[in-house]
Formats: sequence, structure tokens, C-alpha cells
Amino acid sequence: MSELFVQLLLNGLINGCLYALVAAGYALIYNTTRVFHVAHGVAYTAGAYLSFYFLVRLGWPLWASVVGAILLSGVLGASMEWFLYAPLARRRSSLLVAFLSSLGFYTAAINIVALVFGNETQVLRAGVSGTITFGGVIVTKIQMAQALVAGLVVAALLLGLGRSRWGRIIRAVRDNPELASVMGINLFAIRTAVFAAGSSLAALAAVLSALDVGMDPHIGMPALLTAAVALIIGGIGTFGGPVLGGLLLGLVQALVVWQISARWTEAVTFAVLILFLVFRPYGLLSRRQRLEEQAA
Amino acid sequence: MPDVTIECRDLSKAFDGVHAVEDVSVEFEAGKITALIGPNGAGKTTLFHLMGGSLAPDSGEVLLRGRRISGLPSWETARLGVGRLFQDVRVFGRLTVLENVLVGFRNQAGESFWKAVVARLAVARQDRDLAAIAQHWIDFVGLRGFEETPARALSYGQQKLLALARLLAQGADVLLLDEPTAGVNPAMVKPLLALLRDLAKDGKTIILIEHNMSVVIDIADWVYFMDEGQIVAFGLPHEVLGDKWVREAYLGL
Amino acid sequence: MNYLWHIVNMAGIYAILAMSLNLAAGYTGLLSLCHAAFYGLGAYTATLVMVDVGFDFLPALACALIVTALLSLMIALPSLRLRGDYFVLATLGFQIIVFSVLYNWVGLTRGPYGISGIPVPKFFGLEVDSVAKYALFTAVVGGLGLGVLWLLAHSPFGRLLRAVRDDELAAAALGKNVTHVKTIAFVLSACFAAIPGALFAGYMRYIDPTSFTLTESIFIISMVVIGGAGNFAGPAIGAVLLVLLPEALRFLHVPDSVAANLRQVVYGILLILLMRFRPQGLIGEYDFE
Repeated sequence: MSELFVQLLLNGLINGCLYALVAAGYALIYNTTRVFHVAHGVAYTAGAYLSFYFLVRLGWPLWASVVGAILLSGVLGASMEWFLYAPLARRRSSLLVAFLSSLGFYTAAINIVALVFGNETQVLRAGVSGTITFGGVIVTKIQMAQALVAGLVVAALLLGLGRSRWGRIIRAVRDNPELASVMGINLFAIRTAVFAAGSSLAALAAVLSALDVGMDPHIGMPALLTAAVALIIGGIGTFGGPVLGGLLLGLVQALVVWQISARWTEAVTFAVLILFLVFRPYGLLSRRQRLEEQAA
Repeated sequence: MPDVTIECRDLSKAFDGVHAVEDVSVEFEAGKITALIGPNGAGKTTLFHLMGGSLAPDSGEVLLRGRRISGLPSWETARLGVGRLFQDVRVFGRLTVLENVLVGFRNQAGESFWKAVVARLAVARQDRDLAAIAQHWIDFVGLRGFEETPARALSYGQQKLLALARLLAQGADVLLLDEPTAGVNPAMVKPLLALLRDLAKDGKTIILIEHNMSVVIDIADWVYFMDEGQIVAFGLPHEVLGDKWVREAYLGL
Repeated sequence: MNYLWHIVNMAGIYAILAMSLNLAAGYTGLLSLCHAAFYGLGAYTATLVMVDVGFDFLPALACALIVTALLSLMIALPSLRLRGDYFVLATLGFQIIVFSVLYNWVGLTRGPYGISGIPVPKFFGLEVDSVAKYALFTAVVGGLGLGVLWLLAHSPFGRLLRAVRDDELAAAALGKNVTHVKTIAFVLSACFAAIPGALFAGYMRYIDPTSFTLTESIFIISMVVIGGAGNFAGPAIGAVLLVLLPEALRFLHVPDSVAANLRQVVYGILLILLMRFRPQGLIGEYDFE
């Protein structure tokens, strides 16, 4: 019994690493632009399908397919800023208009993917198989890859944002875009950069996931929603928060599978979201003051 | 016997360590027009927010006829008789001028969803009556003919007049007016000031934030000078405006 | 001919749905992503009451209204004091939870198997047993609902909703309890979504959770946005257009396998273009700014 628990917990933690990766990408975008970027799900879906296209349809080697998918998804993300959000920002449109626009883009894009690749699940074979067992717990090699890659990338991102000039610039844009602009920071360039980077992170997570469970055109929304929930429970305005949130969600879902049933993981995830929105909307790692200042 | 309607006692509010309002104690009387003047950033608008209920103080209190209102939400303060004219006007952009004023009236049966359906004849009748009163205020502020115009199509000055008409419909007896003459057509300023004087004669408590010193001298019965969150001078208009320190710090004379 | 009546039925049902969302989103400025959940709650409550308890349609509809009102109140109370995008996220969470319950609580809702054998609605003794009769039925019941909505929209209550939408702070400064107003608007909006839910159940005589997904919520939003939010005719026009769109695709000989995805592409592109160039939709008053 306890072995099952540890197994589920480990699976949950590894899933959590992927959630953390998507959430980190989403946080980059949301913290800087405050847009409810539903179309983040498009970057996710695109990452998986691009790698599928390169690997399966074009026959490229795995590393090239993955890198190609990530880079192109970054370009896609940047183009979302250029064509979708920037024109609205220039018009000083409300966040609601940007949200609806994002929703429209998501709907159109994933259905185009479905038209091109079909609605069924596609499989991404990496030629990597086999498992590692330690202490009665089984981990597939792909899961190990997921944990390692996601873990390393997220760690690098957190370190990079914490210390470097980029981190300071992003925080400046986040805290006070007008002031940052007046101080000479090119808002448009920063926005494009975070969209590209955030989308690439989502794409990487999607590829890692697809190598394990395959893909279908509708994987983007659950990924986006998990990221949004992770952001809230971890704390908006921070980057460590969404990462923590992602890991926690992975663990919570594992607990649900263990105690209740896998069918209820989605409902529980969102029940957790609503609990946080009611009792602690600024999340675990964020400072309370920030939210009240924003509200005033 | 001074009839103090609204007062602040030792009111303080800080943001991120900066004292926007610091230990402010002021009194406002019915039937009088009091002006609140001072440089930008002195805390005047913050004081209005504290009095109107948009902000809760860190310490101190706001009393309305002896009753503590600080910390109450702004809609409750408004219902108790406090009316506000905002610096950035805040009209209901997509509603017509007439609709804007109509929203101002209190105790409308039709604003209850239930009565709006079940008692629709009575509601319609009340609405017609209110529309007549609204028309009176619209005419008064000089917006006759604009009744069906969406508020966002008006100029800034016209929107200000609309906000004033709406405030009159509200029937509040304590009026917090944040720069009422700024942006208003100079031809309208005189009738506006005359209206304010009439309202004061009616017993209303009028408090203005003003940067226009000629307006202050013209209609204010009492002046508070505020700087860096504190009341640093008060008195009759010519006293305060004649004070050497005030003239140097604020008027640059 | 029956097919034409079918279109009329669906257009009528969706027109009421769109107008009900409009009460919250267009009149009060509350964009909700859980409208399909209320639609579904209405459908399932009415169905379960008719099938498991044996009530007739109108009492079942009444039960649907009560249940939907209570559940919408439950989500409204904690969520309405949240800022714009948090509120949207909360409604999204509610939509997911409701769908999950409809899909997974098999004991109550029969889950993915759906509920069939919904009795033909009896309207004061008369059986509404043909598509044409149902169109009339929808027109009567729906018409009543729309009539009440019309009264609400064109009353001081409707005016108050629009004022709250345009400037909450100013409305509060006039003495209006903004949270109270938003709560009522949201709950009413949910109740008016339960009506087409019950109508849908009585019409199809079979329901399953797949009619009440997030995609459906987005579809309803599209109807409101495309037709135009914030006035009465806009959402109705949007509903009619989007109900006719699949027919237009069929007319153009687009194969069914492609049609479903293609429709969604069209909705998505329309949303993007409208937000960019004409956020008030075809004939709306509200542009979501």
C-alpha cells in the first residue's frame, strides 16, 4: 500500500515538474503583460505537433525535432504578441478584449491543427524505452528525462531571473510599465522576448509530455489551465511561486488518484483554485500588500 | 452654534511607508463652503477618498454627524448622505445624459429586479416623475438638448456638468467636489458657483478641492491649506491666501 | 420541413441562452466562462426531476431554476469581489468542476452514458410531440423568458446594471451596493440559462455531458460577441447566425468530418477580427472596454 503511495507520489512529482515548466513560461508572460494568455495553450499544442511533424513526417533525428519545435514555438509566441496583443495594447484596449482575442486565437488554432493532423491521438516515439527501478518504485526513462530536463530548465530560469539584468528589467516592466518605458526600456522588445521564451518553455513541456502519452489537438487547454492555477496558488508576480504551484498540483493530483480516483483530479484542481481565490488570492509566495495595491 | 456635519479626527493613511495623510483633523459645517487647497500630491484627494469611503484609514476616524463612517464601504457612506464629484469625472460613458442623471436618484423601486418585473406600472410612473426632475437638473447645468447623447460623446467640461447634475439628483447633503471648475467652459463657471452658493444656503455642506484661487476667494467661507499630508494653515480665504508662508510655498509669490 | 423546425428550435434555445449571458456579460460587464455549466445544470435538473421523480415539464423547469439559482449564488458570492481576470478564472474553474461532476458522478447523472427517455413535455395537458409543436412550445416558454428579460433590461434595474458596468466606483459613490447588484445580475443570468437547458432536454429527449463543455461556453460567448453585447437584439442575431453557420457549411458541401473543426476555426477568427476592429459586434452597445 505504501509502495503504491510512493509510486503515485513520484509520478505526481514528475508531472509536477512538467506543470512547473509550463507554469514558469506562463508566469513570464502574465507577470510582464497581465494578459490572461489563453493562447499559451496554442504554444503548448504547437510544440507537440511540430516535433511530431519533424520527427515522424520529416524523419529528422529526435534532438533536431525537439529543438526545431521549441524554436518555432518561440517564433509563434512572438507572433502572437505582434499580431494579437500589440495592436490592442497600442489602442489601450482593456484586458477583457485581449482575453477574448486570445480565446479566439486558441479556438481557431487548435482546430486548424485538428484539420491538418486529425482529431485522434498521435504518438511520438523517441526510441527511448525501458524503466529504472529503485526501492520498489518504477520510473520510465522518459519520466526521468522529463524530470531532469524540466528541473534543469526551470532551475536555470529561476537563477537567471533572480540575478541577471534581464530579471531586473522584467521586474521593472512588471511593477510599473510606464516608468520602465520612460526609463528607456523598450516595452515592445521585452514583451516579444517573454512571449517567445514563455512559449518555448510550454513547447518543451509539451514535447516531454508527448513522448510519454502522445498528443491530440486538445492538450493545450488543460495545460494552460494547470499553469493558470499554479500561478494563482504559487503567487502572481513571482516566478518561484508558479514553479512551486506546479509541483504542488502534481502532488495534489497524485493524492487524488491515491485516495479518490483519477477521474476527479480536474475537479479537485479547480476546487483548490477556488479555495485560493477566496482565501488567499495572492498565493503562497506573494506578498499580500501587492494585491491590495493593485486592487486600489 | 457651528453645525459640524462631517469631521476627521487624527486621520492618517500611508502607502508603502509614505504618509499621504498624516494626523489630519478638520471640521466642515452645514451651510458653508470650505475649500481644501495645496500643492499636487499634498493628500487632498486621498483625504476625499478617506471621507467618501473609497479608502479606510490606518488610524483616526471620520464622523458624519457624530457617527463613525470611516471604514464603511463607499456605497454606505453615499447612502448616509455623502456625495462625490471626482477629479476624473467618471460618468457612465455608454448611458445617455438623461440615464446618467436618473441613476443618481435614491430609493428607486425599479432598481430592484423583482419590482421591475412585477410592479412595472408603478416603476414606469416613478421613472417618469424622476425624469422630470432629472430634466430640471440637466437644464440647470446647461446641458439642455443633450438628454439622449451618450455621456462619452460629451466634452470633459460637459461631463463635469453632467456629474454635477447627477450629484444633485442624488440629493446628498455633504458634497465632496474634487476640482469642480477645472475644464469647465468659463461662461459656465459663474452659474456653477452661484449654484454652489444656493446649495450652501439650502444647508448643504460643500467641500471643494480647488486650484483656482479666484474661485476660492469668490465663494469659500473657510480654507484649509494642506501640504505633504498635513493641514498646515487654515482660516478665512484672504487670511490663508495672504499668509506669507503659503504664498511662497504654494503660490510661488 | 421538419429540418426547418429543428433549426427554429435550436435558434430559439440559443437565442435565450445568448441573451441570458448578455445580462451578465453585456449589461453588467461580467464575462463568465461557466454559462454552459448553468445551461447544463438546468438541463440535468429538469431531466432528473422528470425522469427520476416523475414531475411534468413546468414543475421540472421550476426545480431547474431553483437549483441553478442556488449553485450560481455559491460561485457568485466568493468570486464577485475578485478583480476582472480573477473572476473569469473563477468562472472557468466552476465550469470545469460542474462538467466533471456531470461526467463522473455516474450514480446521479449516468455520466458519459447520458440520460435518455426524457418524457415528452406536457403543456397543460397537451403533448408537445412533434418538432413543429416544439418550436411553438419554445416560442411560448422562451418568449415568456425573453419578455421578462426585456422588462429587466429596459427598467431602472437594467440601467443600474449598465451603470455598474461603465463605472463601478461612480455607481458606489451614488450609493449603489455594487457587489449586491452584480450578484443579482449573475444569478439571474444563470437562471435564464437554465430555461433553455430544460427546453433542450425536453426537445432532444436525451442529454449527456458533452453538450455542456467549456467549448460550449465559448460558443455562447461567441454568439454574444458576434451579434453584439449590451443590448437586446445583438445576442439574438448572434445566436441565429451561429446556428445557421453549420447549415451554410453543409450547403457549401463541406464534409461533416471537416465541418465541426472548420466551424470552430470560423468562430475563433471572428472573435479575433471583432476584438481588433469592432468589439461591439454587429449591433451591440458594449465593446468590452
